[in-house]
Amino acid sequence: MKASSWRQWVLWLGVLCATAALLLLVRQRLDKAHFALVFLLVVLGSSAAGGRAIGLTVAGGAFLAFNYFFLPPYYTFIIADPFDWLVLVTFLATGIVAAQLLYRARRNTDAAVARAREVDRLATLGAETLAAPSAAAALDAIAEVIRSSLNAREVEFYRRAEAGGLHRTTRAGRANAASSPMTAWYGDRVRAAVVLEDGTTRMDPAGLVGLNVVMIDRALNVREQAVGVLRVAFATSTTLTADSARLLDALAYYAALGVERVRLEATAERAEAERRVESLRNALLMAVSHDLRTPLTTIKALAHEISATAPSSAARVIESEADRLDALVGDLLDLSRIQAGAVQPILAVNTVDELIGAALQRAHGAIGSRAVAVSLPDEMLIARFDLTQSLRILVNLLENAAKYSAANAGIEISACLDGDMVRLDVSDDGAGVRSGEEERIFEPFYRPADTPPDARGAGLGLSISRGLAEAQGGTLRYQARATGGATFVLKLPRAAGPTLRFL
Amino acid sequence: MPSGHLTILLVDDEVPIRRALRHALTPAALLGGDAEEVTVRVLEAGTAREGIDLAAAEQPALIVLDLGLPDQPGLDVCREIRRWSEAPILVLSARHQDTEKAALLDAGADDYMTKPFSTIELVARVRAQLRRARTAAPTAAATITFGEWTVDLQRRRIERAGLPVHFTPTEFALLRAFVLHPRQTLTHRQLFAAVWGNAEGDAPQYLRVYIGHLRRKLERDPVRPQFIHTESGVGYRFEPDGVRAA
Repeated sequence: MKASSWRQWVLWLGVLCATAALLLLVRQRLDKAHFALVFLLVVLGSSAAGGRAIGLTVAGGAFLAFNYFFLPPYYTFIIADPFDWLVLVTFLATGIVAAQLLYRARRNTDAAVARAREVDRLATLGAETLAAPSAAAALDAIAEVIRSSLNAREVEFYRRAEAGGLHRTTRAGRANAASSPMTAWYGDRVRAAVVLEDGTTRMDPAGLVGLNVVMIDRALNVREQAVGVLRVAFATSTTLTADSARLLDALAYYAALGVERVRLEATAERAEAERRVESLRNALLMAVSHDLRTPLTTIKALAHEISATAPSSAARVIESEADRLDALVGDLLDLSRIQAGAVQPILAVNTVDELIGAALQRAHGAIGSRAVAVSLPDEMLIARFDLTQSLRILVNLLENAAKYSAANAGIEISACLDGDMVRLDVSDDGAGVRSGEEERIFEPFYRPADTPPDARGAGLGLSISRGLAEAQGGTLRYQARATGGATFVLKLPRAAGPTLRFL
Repeated sequence: MPSGHLTILLVDDEVPIRRALRHALTPAALLGGDAEEVTVRVLEAGTAREGIDLAAAEQPALIVLDLGLPDQPGLDVCREIRRWSEAPILVLSARHQDTEKAALLDAGADDYMTKPFSTIELVARVRAQLRRARTAAPTAAATITFGEWTVDLQRRRIERAGLPVHFTPTEFALLRAFVLHPRQTLTHRQLFAAVWGNAEGDAPQYLRVYIGHLRRKLERDPVRPQFIHTESGVGYRFEPDGVRAA
């Protein structure tokens, strides 16, 4: 810039002198207005090409030359005709105004060109970032652009880790010593921090423009969420201009998007891995289920065939033992699903009427001829649960009630609203659970010491039931009954029914 | 009552299971008193391909289809057969999953049993399917009677022991779907379609609540229903004879 500016000065002062000299040669043949117009041309030309300083200087020079050489009496600055003053002042005013206007137009053009270049750079960077095969590659590109545009020594991006703290994802430029631990808490509380030339740190400066900085830490935000930190370190203290501060802002947003993309990619990879494990586990459980149940089917079918041709109690025992084994297989598969956290309830709006009805039907074998008293409020109870899983819980509770009480003792089921839950109580007249064992009965394979010897089962029912209840957002607890029996309390999330207009 | 041949097709890759079922599906077991004039022919297939070919060639009256066939998923076999055959399909599966049951019934299966099943129950279900296939389905013009109830579908009148009872439009639409498909498991999806068509909206998620209201009107004891039975995770079944499965 400096060299070309000198050349402009020499050029336009030369042009002014040459014009004056040429006009001197033809002074006799021309009018004052002609001189004024020719000089004006030179002033306009110099303003347009050389800028405001040259334009004003040339205008001043032209004013003096016009007066000295071309307004009588010649070769003096005296003006004989008062009207010539008018010409002269008009000339000067026109020249200055023209120089000013041209300067402004030019400055606007320059700014527009600079802005266009900036937009161009950002657009290219945006395209590169989008096209980058991985988020890490995109961040590398952004870091390098920030480094070169700000002439920084080093640019680093830190990603906010899920567990807290920051991890460096990208670095461009000369490696620094270990990064300052201060970055670890910048992301959360502070939008920006700068280290000034004198070594002091300033938090959240009103603006970066004009500060003499050696390092900038800037929070990276996506939708008002801090996703990481951008750090720019300079080799020597640097004053940021408005342009570079604006560019830094724009690029920081790109970096924030890039850092967020790194995070999402990591999340997606983890989700994909979890999905695969899940589908493998399901395939395995399905295969186990199939491979264990197919021979059981054969055994049962053959036992039935034997009993049909030659009735024998042995064949019936084979059949019922096969059923028991099948129930055990089912329990073990369910327990492994629950313990793996792989139970996915299909939650829907269901009625308690239906849950109790289906459970009574399914448990009728275990209930036998016992009386089951059901007490329900007049208003239909509606809850959000998985019918099949809740059915399993309730059937299990009914079977337990039958198993642990006298052969002709009754069973009671009652249901009611309990805050934002629906509560179901299944009560029996048995011995209840010994104190101190109220929670242990929900452990897998746990069987109380006083379990009747003929009670069958592996001790999985209650732990499966509790697992299924919790998977649906419910609870299952034991409660001692004042009369000595046992009550199991199942709670499921309440739901609203349809509005009347849909009935 | 039927005379001549009754052809049943068993598609299962386990030979012992096929043998046991072949022995259990006797004329006496399937048809009761009318058995003398009928011979039951049981065809067997070990693969899906064989099963589809036999079903096409022999036009069996009923198909028992195992889902764990080596060469093709059972769901596809079910769909394929249903494209050109009206014969009831009873599906056997070793997976105990409600979503699978519903998908199979939606694909055209008529009944579903999980392995290991009891032979007695399987024979009973086969018998029920054969009986249903023989009796003509009620038409929309008919007046249907069950228990104390009389339902006049055309005039939309419902009476209990001769006295009219008010049903809401949704309750009536549900009851209509049930009485037109007696002894048949209707999946949730089929009921949605029958009551609400393809309409999007709030109502279908409350299907079970509407069933609850219907039961409270229809049944003596809504937790011990006689007519509308729950097939958990799959749908509902209407039993006009008021049988209590328990």
